[in-house]
Order: sequence, then structure tokens, then C-alpha cells
Amino acid sequence: MALINNKTKKALSGSGVLLLAGLASLPLAAQEGHQLLRNNCGVCHAESGSADNPVFSRISEQRKSPEGWLMTINRMVHLRDVEISADDKRNLVRYLADTQGLAPDEAAPFRYLLEQDTNLIETGVDAELVETCARCHSGARFALQRRTEQEWQYLVDFHMGQFPTTELHALSRDRAWYEIARNQTASTLALQYALDTPEWSQWQSEPKADVTGRWRVVGFVPGKGEFDAVMLAERADDGRYDLSITGRYADGSELSGDGKATLYTGYEWRASLTLDGVRMRQVMALDEQGLSGRMFLAAEREIGGSIQAIQDQGEAAVLALLPSFVRKGEHAEVEVIGHNLQADSLSLGAGVVIEQILSQGPDSIRVRVSATGDEGIYPVQLGDVAQSAGLAVYEQVARVDVLPQDAVARIGGGGMMAKVRTAYRVVGYSAGPDGIPGTEDDLRLGYMPASWQILPADEEAEHDQDHIYAGEIDANGIFTPGIDGPNPERRMSANNVGRLTVVATVTDGEEVVEGSGNLLVSVPDFVRRVLD
Amino acid sequence: MKLNRLFKQHSIKGLAAALLCASALPVSAAQEYLLTVTRPGHLHVIDMKTNEVERSCDIPGKFGSGAITVSPDGKTAFVLSNIWEDVYGFDIRSCQIVFHAAQSSASERVKSFQSLTVSRDGTELYTVQNPTRLLSDRYEILEPRLAVYRIADGLGAQPVRTFPVDRRITKIAATDTGEVILGGGDVKAINTQTGDVRMVAALQNWDRGPLWLPPDAFAMHSQGEQANEYIMPYVTARFSDEEWDFETAEWWWGLSRVDLSTGEAELIEAIPFEFIVFNFITDPRDSNILYGSFNTLSKHDISTQETLIVKEMPHTYYNLNISGDGSTIYVGGTSSDISIHDSETLEKIGAIHLSGDMTTSDLRVATIRE
Repeated sequence: MALINNKTKKALSGSGVLLLAGLASLPLAAQEGHQLLRNNCGVCHAESGSADNPVFSRISEQRKSPEGWLMTINRMVHLRDVEISADDKRNLVRYLADTQGLAPDEAAPFRYLLEQDTNLIETGVDAELVETCARCHSGARFALQRRTEQEWQYLVDFHMGQFPTTELHALSRDRAWYEIARNQTASTLALQYALDTPEWSQWQSEPKADVTGRWRVVGFVPGKGEFDAVMLAERADDGRYDLSITGRYADGSELSGDGKATLYTGYEWRASLTLDGVRMRQVMALDEQGLSGRMFLAAEREIGGSIQAIQDQGEAAVLALLPSFVRKGEHAEVEVIGHNLQADSLSLGAGVVIEQILSQGPDSIRVRVSATGDEGIYPVQLGDVAQSAGLAVYEQVARVDVLPQDAVARIGGGGMMAKVRTAYRVVGYSAGPDGIPGTEDDLRLGYMPASWQILPADEEAEHDQDHIYAGEIDANGIFTPGIDGPNPERRMSANNVGRLTVVATVTDGEEVVEGSGNLLVSVPDFVRRVLD
Repeated sequence: MKLNRLFKQHSIKGLAAALLCASALPVSAAQEYLLTVTRPGHLHVIDMKTNEVERSCDIPGKFGSGAITVSPDGKTAFVLSNIWEDVYGFDIRSCQIVFHAAQSSASERVKSFQSLTVSRDGTELYTVQNPTRLLSDRYEILEPRLAVYRIADGLGAQPVRTFPVDRRITKIAATDTGEVILGGGDVKAINTQTGDVRMVAALQNWDRGPLWLPPDAFAMHSQGEQANEYIMPYVTARFSDEEWDFETAEWWWGLSRVDLSTGEAELIEAIPFEFIVFNFITDPRDSNILYGSFNTLSKHDISTQETLIVKEMPHTYYNLNISGDGSTIYVGGTSSDISIHDSETLEKIGAIHLSGDMTTSDLRVATIRE
């Protein structure tokens, strides 16, 4: 799988700095993990098997994400009065995620949930599982778990025992829900999400990479903009990584911060850091390309953006171009972000002329380019090595996608619950070879600046003046909902809920292109889950 | 229906009075009390002559769902408390607790979903129990059962009989025929002596063919005491063809109404689905006239399938009930005010303000005839 790749082979041959697991990403010793389970869980979870290979009832028949295990332990604390030290909890989550986690391929389709990016509508979930499970949870919630059939049955029983009205909900009360869930759905889940899988067996046997070292990072912080940075990861005594990060936003302002990271299951990067005084979290997956995922405010998981990083392995490598597009026939300044860069080896192919090197350093080269070629993606070349990053040359922005396309904001601030905001961005596309926007051959250009407004979603929303009451959107595309509680000005004293259309306007030369997204401004959600 | 009930419930002296005024004012000699529960845990006893809260009784335990059932003599109100586990019986004339059943034990947690009713002779209390065995590392889900309590056992009562019943049973009601109506996926009746169960009105298992949407019934609140009926509304749709187009389907409110004298049911789709109604009640004077509440208060004639009046309400009211003479509608639940309306016009004629929110609580009428 992923980590046996060219770079790893080079590292093995001695040319790189990538270390193998066992040296760096050593899981807690098995004995220590077993003892943690005995001490903290053994009172209720019966131990069987051998001393070297113990089996703990319920626990040993499941695999899940680090967040999944954290939820389980939190639940034991809140519902079962377990007392566990912070150190034991952290070590248990790590031990369980390392030894009973998910393979990268198993987690890959559902990373949005781990990344806390819940403003999307899932597709492709099995209809039976939608009716039984995904009518309350995300489909990813259970798809990020692996259990034996009996364990899936016990999970059904848990729902009945803990939330007894489960069988009375809409889509339950009109059928024999418990019998269906326990006898049919548990089997379906055991087939789709089995405990033992080839993916997991293989992943366990693969060498794991070390994340110690110097990382080049690009990302986006809502309200601040795109940034590039250098992040250093040093191994700490407790098995985590000490992080420091310095960089700057696109407007030139600087950023810096530090924090801690943990690499679970050999690839699941989770970091908490303070960036210019603001607590942030990173959720990324490690693969042969590097780290990629999402960074968001610790206090507001909805406010975040994508983040990518590549490790310095002693070779020249490009992470990103900022901006990633230039209009055909025009000139633009473009910054190439990477490691060990040398301007004289840089090229962008026949259609993009590098007219001038504005500045150069090992982490960044600023160039002035002229887009002379036809529409298309022009990959960056370092010497004769093509990089995955490229510059898009386009004729016209034909379509802009508002992201998230579908979102839920939540009123708050008046009582117990904070407001849940939404952070918007726009991705621009050209129409592609067929000249028709909205088709598969559209050329993705990248994130674009936009101006923002909200409109009522339809006549009824207009009549109720949802666009007046439900909140407002700022110049950065951040929507802030209204205060919660009954509003006597509104029909039926309704809260400041509403259905809105979020409109982004992108100016492309003389042209103006609009895109829109659907925003539901809803009531507070009083249940805070680790994973929805 | 009404006369039949009066024959059974009244002494000879009461019968004579009832016969004299049976058609116009069936219970004019009686004192009616409106009962409801508010958070954090108060049973309010409201005099329906003055529309004043006469007393408020403290309910032990955490808020349940506010489910209430009343003894046939109107003197005792049984309330589900402690998150649907415990039943407390209150003498509504004094707030004295005269009955308590803790349904759960150390190894078994028992929840009742609104399922609470008293036998027509006033001697037995019935609940539907949904038990869960608490094992050290998991739950074991046990079969639901009808539990029969002797009300005379008072505090610390334990079931004297239990019988297995279906899952998903919510509100229940006792009949003159010695049965308890069980509202679940279907409406069934259980004999409280033998445990024999019969189908009263098939809903989930109805046989209407492919052009009818299987009904979705909800039975969160108990009412119907003023019309001597058990009423379970449901939503269904009749499709025009096997394309099953929801847009072109005819949408209906249906009603399963069980006559509590006979245990017999009618199942009718009688009210076009034009807006959401959370609960319906039948006018005690005319079983064709129904009233419904939610965001609106509405009046319907099921004989003509007409919606007669729709009144926008200032907020959501889950629940409603009616005076025994049919003249006054009480609309409550959800928030902390009960809105009082004239049943002819649906015009608001008063309000009762309570100390807390009713949320999901029942709105029941206790009638004391003495």
C-alpha cells in the first residue's frame, strides 16, 4: 500500500531521512496496552484468551478511528461513571487506534467526518442503512467502524437500551424496527464493515513512516485567507510530536504557532496547536504524497479549511502554486511553494513562459509568468521531474461552485449554545473543451476571491423575511446566524431560523460569474458529538 | 355510547339525572378539572369553571413525558415520572400521593412510552413495560409486557399479572369489555385477565393494495375521555398509479377511533392533509366533528370531509382537550400557556398561564360527579 513507494525505497537505500516504524512510530508496548485495558475496563469487560494475547469482551471485537475510540471512552465516563486519568485516556485511545484501527483505504471514503467537515449531503449510502442508521447519524459514523456480526447486534441493543424511543421515530414506528435492525441490518453491516479485512491485515504488516522533521504547508483559514508555512515536528518523550509553525498569509501578514501532534494507526495525524493565539486542530492523513486534510478552529469546527503538507526528504519538491490559475494571454505573479527549490530548474511547460524570477529561496520561488498556451493544466517541472502541482491556464471563468454547496448554520448566543457559523469559499472552473459549463470536462482552476450576499431561498422564505432575520454574511464569506430564542417580531414568534441562498459573485476580467449554495439556518444542536 | 357509559358508571341516583339531560348537558352536574404537567415536575389541577389553577402537586423524580391517566371517578391522576419509569398516583383534591410503582429494578430498567391507563372499574392500573436487562458490558433487550397493578396496593405496588405484548406500543386505554387498547404499529386489544390479544385496526399490516401508502401513526398523547374513545390519527396517501408519485398522490389524515364501551374500531381517511395536526379530539356532542391542534387550531366535519375553520395560533400547541358539554376547547402542550377557545367559532376566549413548560405533557379532563 501507500507507504511502500519510491520515496520509501529511497529512504531504505539510505539517501533519505525517512525512518521506519519501530524506531519512530512505535506503538505502546503491547503489555502496557493490555494493562491499561485491564486497569480501566476490566471491571466490566471480561478478559479471556491468553496473557500475551488477551481478549476483552466487546472491546476486542471492534475496530475504529481514534475519534471512535475517544467517543467510546467518553461514553464510559459520562454514562458508566468510569474514572480515568487524562494520561490513561490518551494512551488508551492511541493503543486501541494503533492495534484496532482502520486501514487508510477503509477510512478514505469517509475522511470528511474525521475532518469534522459535516456540511455536505452524503450520497451512496445503502438504502437499508439510511433507513435504519443514517436517518440519525451520518453514514460515515458507522462506516468508520468494523465489528463482528454479534458486535453490530450489541450496538443495536445499545441504541435500544440507551435511547429507548429509537423504535418510535419516523421510519421506525411503521415497521418492526428492532427486529429488522438486529436480525437484518446487523448482518448487512457485518458484511460491509467486517472486523477482519485484507486491508487491515495488510496495513498492520506494512512499515510505518516517521513524521519527524520539516514540513512545507499550505492551507486556508477563514477570515484570514490562504497561507504557506514551515512546520517542524519533533518527537516528544510522551510519544507525541512537538510542533512549531511559521509562515504568512497571502496578504503578507505573518502567522506562527506551536502545538502537539499524534500519529495514530501509522497515518492518522491529529494536532492541536495555537496559531496566533487561536486554538486550532489539524486532522490529516499521511500517504506517499504527504499530509492532507483540514484545519479548523478548536472551538468551532465548522470554521476551517483544507491543509496540505509535504515532508522535506532532501529532494526538491513542489507542494502548491499560489495562485493556481492564470488567464490565457495574461501575465501574473505566481509563487511556487516547496522544498529545496532551485529557480534555474523550474519550468511550467511550453504554454507558460517564466518571464522573470522575482525572488527565490529553497522554500519559495516567486515568478512572473505569461500564459501563452491554450487552456489546460501545466504541471510544474523541476529539472525533468514533473510535480503533481500545476498551473491552470484558462480562457474564461464559466462556473463557480460555492463550497459548502449545502450547509447548516445554527442560531445561538442567547442561551446555552454558541452560534454555529458557516465558512464559504468559491472554486472556479472554465467550461473545458466542450465549451459547456457544468460538464465533466470543466477545468478546475482553484479557489477564487468572491463577493457574498444572502437571499431568501424561495417565496415562503421571502415572506418570512428569513434573509433579514436568519443572519448575515461578511466580505470573507463567513455567515453568522442570528441569536436564538423566540423572536416576537416574527410570525409565531419563530426563532431566527431560515432558509437562504448564499450567492457568490466572482469577477473575471470584464465578466461576472455567480454561483450559489443552500444554507439552512436551524435551531441549536444541544448534543455535542466527537463525530456526527 | 354516552348513555351506555353512564349506565355503567353511575348509581341509580346518578342515572336518573343523566337520563334527564342526556342529549344536551350530559355531565352538567359534574365538576371538571383540566390536568397537565409542567417542567420541572408539577401536576396542575385546573378548575374548568373558573379556568384557574386550583392546586399544583409536586411530582417526585425527574420529568417523565407528562403522561397522565385519570381514574374513572376523576379523583386520582396517575402520572408517569422519572424519565418514563415510575408511576405516581395523586389524589387531585389534596395532592396526596396514593400510589407509587417503581417499574425498574437494579438489574432491569423499565420504560413506558405514555402507556398508562386505569380499568373502567377503577381497581387496576395498566402500563406497557419495555424492559432492558443491564448486563456488565451490554444491554439485553427484553420483550415488552402489559403490567397489571392493583391500585389498592398503594405505595410500592408491584405488578400482579404480566402478559407479553408487541413492541412500539405508546398510548393505551381501558375498555368496558375488560380489554386494554394497545396503540403500536397496529391498534390491538389485550384481555387483561387472559392476555389474549386481538387486532382492532390494522395499520402497519393493513391490506389496502399497492396504491395506498402504509400509514404512519403517532400516538404521543392520550385524550378522548370526553367522547369515550381512543383516537389514533395517522397519515396516509393514495397514489394515482403505480408510479407512486408523492406529488400527485392524495394525502389524508386518517383516524383509528375505538369506542371504549364496545372495543370496536372505525378506520377512516376523513380529513385532507393540508397542514400538520399533532392531535385530534372528537366533539362529545357530535362524533363527526373533530378539532385538531399544532400550529393551527382547526375544526373538521368528517361526514363531509370538510375543514370548517382553521385558526392560526401564536405558537405551536401539541395538544388539546374539550369540556364535557363540548362548548370549550383547551389548547395546550409545548409552552406554558393553555389557550381557551369557543368550539363554535374557535375564537379565543381566555388563557391559563402555568409555572413551566408543558412540553410533551398530556392534557386530560378529570370529572368528579358528586
